[in-house]
Parts: sequence; C-alpha cells; structure tokens
Amino acid sequence: MKVRILRQQFPGSAPYWETFEYDGPEDNSVAGVLDYLNYHDDIVDADGKRTTRIGWECSCLQGICGACAMVIDGQPALACETFLRDIQGKEITIRPLQKFPVIHDLVVDRSSIHENLKQADVCIGEYRPSADADHAHQYAAAKCLKCGLCLEVCPNYVNGETFFGAAFANDCYLVASRNRAEDRRIRTVYAEHFAKTCSKSLSCMEVCPMKIPTLASMAKLNRMKR
Amino acid sequence: MKHVLIIGSGISGMACAVRCAERGLRVTLASPFPSERSQSVMAAGGINAVLPEGEPGDSVSSHVEDTLKGGCGLGGERAVTGLCEHGGEILRYLEGIGTVFSVDGHGRPLRRAFGGQSHKRTYYCGASTGKQIVSALVMEARRFEAAGLIERRLWCCFHSALIEDGVCHGAMLFDEARGGLEAVYADAVVIATGGQNAMFGKTTGSTQCDGYAAGKLFMQGAELKNLEFIQYHPTTLETPQKRMLISEAARGEGGRLFTRADGRNIYFMEEKYGPGGNLMTRDVVSREIDALGGNVFLDISFLGKDAIDERLPEVRDLCAKYGGIDVTREPIPVEPSVHFFMGGLAVRLNHETNIRNLFAVGECASMYHGANRLGGNSLLAAIYSGNVAADEIASRKEEAPAHPDFSGVLEHEKARLAESRDTQSQFPVMYIRDMLAETMQKRLGIVRDEANLMKGVDDIDYYLSIAGRLNYDPNVMPYFNYSLTAILTLARATVTCALSRRESRGAHWRSDFPETDEAQRSATIIKYDGGKYSVRLDEERAYES
Repeated sequence: MKVRILRQQFPGSAPYWETFEYDGPEDNSVAGVLDYLNYHDDIVDADGKRTTRIGWECSCLQGICGACAMVIDGQPALACETFLRDIQGKEITIRPLQKFPVIHDLVVDRSSIHENLKQADVCIGEYRPSADADHAHQYAAAKCLKCGLCLEVCPNYVNGETFFGAAFANDCYLVASRNRAEDRRIRTVYAEHFAKTCSKSLSCMEVCPMKIPTLASMAKLNRMKR
Repeated sequence: MKHVLIIGSGISGMACAVRCAERGLRVTLASPFPSERSQSVMAAGGINAVLPEGEPGDSVSSHVEDTLKGGCGLGGERAVTGLCEHGGEILRYLEGIGTVFSVDGHGRPLRRAFGGQSHKRTYYCGASTGKQIVSALVMEARRFEAAGLIERRLWCCFHSALIEDGVCHGAMLFDEARGGLEAVYADAVVIATGGQNAMFGKTTGSTQCDGYAAGKLFMQGAELKNLEFIQYHPTTLETPQKRMLISEAARGEGGRLFTRADGRNIYFMEEKYGPGGNLMTRDVVSREIDALGGNVFLDISFLGKDAIDERLPEVRDLCAKYGGIDVTREPIPVEPSVHFFMGGLAVRLNHETNIRNLFAVGECASMYHGANRLGGNSLLAAIYSGNVAADEIASRKEEAPAHPDFSGVLEHEKARLAESRDTQSQFPVMYIRDMLAETMQKRLGIVRDEANLMKGVDDIDYYLSIAGRLNYDPNVMPYFNYSLTAILTLARATVTCALSRRESRGAHWRSDFPETDEAQRSATIIKYDGGKYSVRLDEERAYES
C-alpha cells in the first residue's frame, strides 16, 4: 500500500509530498502505519531513497487524548482509531490539520484552542448547577479532547481569531450549565465568538471522536436566554 | 512572590499548580503537550473517598487499613492516614470545581466496589473518571492563567535540574518549538511526570511517560524508592499497538473472570477466593491469570445492555473499536499488563526529595501504595500529593537562597546538544528503546527469579555501554536522543532493586524466594554515584513516616 504524506521540516518551511511503501500488518491503524514506517527498518521513500523520520504526535493510542489528529484521505480523524480495513483503495494520503500552524510534518500547534478559552475566561469557578441540568450532556461535553478536528472541518472556522468553533461552544455550555451565576456572561462571549457566525453545517459533530452533540449544547445555551 | 516550576501538567501537576496559585504563588507549568494529552485522562475507574453519606460502616480508618494491607505493609501509616483523611475533602473539591461525576437521582455522586477494599467507596465518572477530572482541573487552572498566576509553557521537555550543594534552584528545559535549551530558575521545582510505562513498550499507559525525569534526577543525586514494585493490571486487551485497559470498574460492576477447560467455563477467582474473588487486589488477580498461561476471559454480558450503556460505555466502545467485541454478547479476552509504578522518586511526607526544594508528586513519586496500589487510590494520591507539596512550598517562611549562576552549565549542555545534531547518522534511538522494552517485559514479568534478572542487568549494561558511543538520528525530536541514557539508568536501577529484594511481597514475586520475609518489611532505596548503584532498606523509615 502507498502512503502519501504532506511533510514540512520546520515552521514556515515549504511543505512537500512524500510517498512511502507500506508492507506491514493489514489490521493496523494509521498510527500503527506511521510507527511502522518510522521504526520497522531504515526509513526510505517509495523509490528506496533515504529520508527523514515522519514527525507526528501521540500519547494514548486509544482515542481519548486527541494527540494524533490529522487529515486522512481528506477526512479529519484520529490516526489511532482510523484502521486500514476501513480505507478504500490502495493508497492513503495523510496531511497535517490545515487550520493550525505546522511545527513539523504532522505535528501542529493547537494552542489557539486553549488561548481562546482563556481569553474569554471560560471557567466554571464554582459548581452552582442549574435546576434543569442535563447531566448526560454535561458528561459528554466534558469529554472534549481539544483535538481540533471540529475546527478543521468547520466551514466557518478560519484561524481562530474571531470565531472559536465547536470546542469553544461545548465548554461554554459546560460552564453555563454548571455555574448558573456565569450563564449570562458566558452567553455573551458565546454569542460573540460562536453563535453569530456558525452556519450550522454541523460537520463538527460528524468528525468528533467523542461524538459530542454540539447541536444540543447550542440549543441548550439558546434556551437559557428565556 | 515565590516562583514554582512544575514539570508535567497531568492531574497531579495541575492540582499542585492550582493550589500554589490559590496560595498566592507564581507558577510555571511546563509540559510538552496540553493536559488533555496526559496519561491522567486514561485513568478510568474512579477515586476513593469516605464521605459521611457513604456506605454504612465505612470509615477513614477502614480505608487506611485497606490501603496498608493492599500495600503489604510497605505503605507508611502516617502518609496513608493523611491521604485517606483528605479523601472526602478532595471529592468535595472536585465536585466544587465542576467535575461531572456519575450521580443518582438526587445529584449525589455514585460509588462502586473496587478491588481489595472492605467497602464500596470508589466514586466515579462513568469509566472516564480521569478525563472528567482533567477537564475540570484544566478549567480551574485556566482561571489562574487568566489572572496571571499560572503560566503554561507548552512544547517544553525537562532536561535536568539545576542543583548545587544539595539545593535545587530550577531546571533546564528544552523548548521543542523554539529548538533551544534554557535555564528556568525557581524557588521550588515540582516533578509531576507520571510513571515509566514507555520503558516497557506496550502497556496500558501513555507513550509520553518514559521515566526520563526520575532517571535523570537519580543521576543527579535524587534517591529512588521501591522500583521493583510494578503493578500489572489483570485485565487488558491486546492490540497491535498497545494494551487497552479494561477498567476494574467492569469487575466492580459485577464482571466475572473465567477460563475455559474441557468445554466449560471455570470461574477460577471465585472458586479459589469465594464470591469476592474477582475483586481481589490486582497483584493477586494478575498472578492467578499468569499462572493459567492465558485463555482467560472477562464476562460482563450478563449485566445487560442497559447497565453497560449506562455505567460502562467506555469499556463497550473500546472493546468494539479495538477488538471487534460486542461486550453485551461475548466475553473479553484479557491478560495482565504493566499499568502503574508504585516506585519512583523517594519523597518525605511533605513530598520533598532528598534534594532541598525539589519535590515530586503523582505517580513519579513513590508514596502511599507500598508493594501494591489499590484501584481508586492513584487519582486520590495525585491530587493529595499535589496539594501537600503546594502547601509545604507556600508555608515555608525562610527566604530561598540566592540562585547561583548556571550559565556555564547551560552553555556546556547546549554545546552537547548541538554536537548530537551535527551528525549524518540514521540510527534511531527508538531501536534501543525497543530493545530495552523487550528486556524489561521479559525480565521483570509478574514472576521473577535471580537468573532472569541477572540477564536483564547484562542486557541493560550492554545498552548503556553503547548508548554513549552512538550517533543518533538528528531528525527525531532531540528529547529522544538526550533522554536515552537516563531511561536506561532508571531501568538498570529497577532491575537492581528487584534483585536485591529476596522475598515475595505484593507486586514483586520471586519464584526463588516465594515467601514474604518480615525482616525485609521496609522500602528499598537506591542511590546512584558515578555509575555505581547502592541499595539499602529504609529501616529507619526516613521517607514515609
């Protein structure tokens, strides 16, 4: 199987495609493929020429930390839970998330997600639940990995300068629902950095590895207005 | 204002950072990646606490007793009492910062039974308790970041501590984004880097937790403790890349272990230990599974789809995704895997190491768990230890000594790094890491003996002998290259400790010394001095009481 990877040596350098030949186990995940290419033997491209090892980020390898988010065959996904058995054809293309600055190869800097939440001061502070709190939805929203897949796929999210995307909306819901004293302030920043721009394509929900129903977060935040 | 440098931003690092900030200290929280990537998010089952509304008959003293008994007499009574006494307060704190616990119809947190415990006292958030606590602590830390008291430094890897005359003055950090080494001075340094899972290759843990910080500090004079006590979690699912943890919650909710022989299912734990057999302590269950040599399954299907969907959705999803197993209809094939390290940096009750102003918290510190940890005590210890270290640092009245000038050391280390990058070698350090993992898995299994451990010493000594002579691939993260020797040194220290404990106790089981020897009922302490490893038993209990 051919594996085409969009690579970049360092921040700001020119990206380039490189193709590898993968002959490892067929039941591997894409994370397993990257590991195999890097360390099964000396690393060479599909023409047998020596090349550099592929940079990528991983931690849990079981879909609960969000480190290995990347774009696989055009689809934003976690490499550790995308399996070769689900890939059509004899070639995979892998590239880094495009909405974030590339550090090296498939490693990107997603710190803007955190910075935006900090800037808008999205914090629970003290637990003062609303009377009609939806516990199951709070549990789901708190599982957000901050992996950035929802932002990568979002047609409204550009670079996080004004519109902060679904990860922001879910944290806003979590704060507003778990501290009723904060709901008014949070709804203001939510309106400013999410609601007024979101065109509700809902593609964020399709790619979310935690299957967070962001639409429910939006509906619940809207309902709090009444 | 005092400045505290915390290395590692999982639960213990964040708990320490938040507590320091609450006490008015300025914190730098350094880690390569955000907290969401930490191993803490993988803690599944729950957190132990005794609350007034808990199970009738339960008490803090029962929790202390269970923890000491589970630790086979090596946990310090004062330390464990402090931990358990604060369980209720910590649970209330976590609720107070908005952790989404699983709750009953009145909003009260739910409890489940966990291994080796006389009462049901493990509070939980489905089977993703660690993740939910991380989410709440991230928000709480964010509050102090916005207020300017906590500064997060991402892409920063620990390099070494700045130590002079037995006092720590800060640390050298390697910034992967800027590509440089820098000295960060601080009045106190707190190490919160987790266990050394990656030293064993495929485990239940994060690839990021490799034990480098403990190994490097050991080489710089910090003492290590109880390294031979390595917890094998009895129920993990084998996959090509890692061992997936099947949370103890599955057995806490009623799951049963069995093996198959002559066409029938044999519930071996229940047959040997009675109705509570499935919830014996992890060391006991792992040994029983190991003795069967495989062919062991965990069945939760009889709990029914509704109960599984409600209480164990993460177990359901994990098995479906990585094993193609429908847990509502079929059993899960399980085997033990390296999961947790009871050993680590030796710390006193206040979580300070033998080096002044150098603290360690969470899994990288050896405390509370003795020879075997109870499920639900690691999350509790992560938060409690972070709090203890923060309180100690904040309460110290004396002025920290002026920082010596480490610029010469910094320049020297920078030159060494530059030299290591100035090479055309293709040799990846990961090859030696892989060989080390194979050695550790083979030589430090559930059951050990002297001959096997000696082979481990020989292997690691060989890796150490070549580690300094090879030129490494300059295209991988420099961290991987500069961290190798310290990881190997920690591995060597671990095997040395396992050799020196000539008895069987808790997670350390020697087939050549199968009895427990009360004369060895003390922690193992190991010290490094210029390539020499010296081991002693802490008979004076200098570290945990």
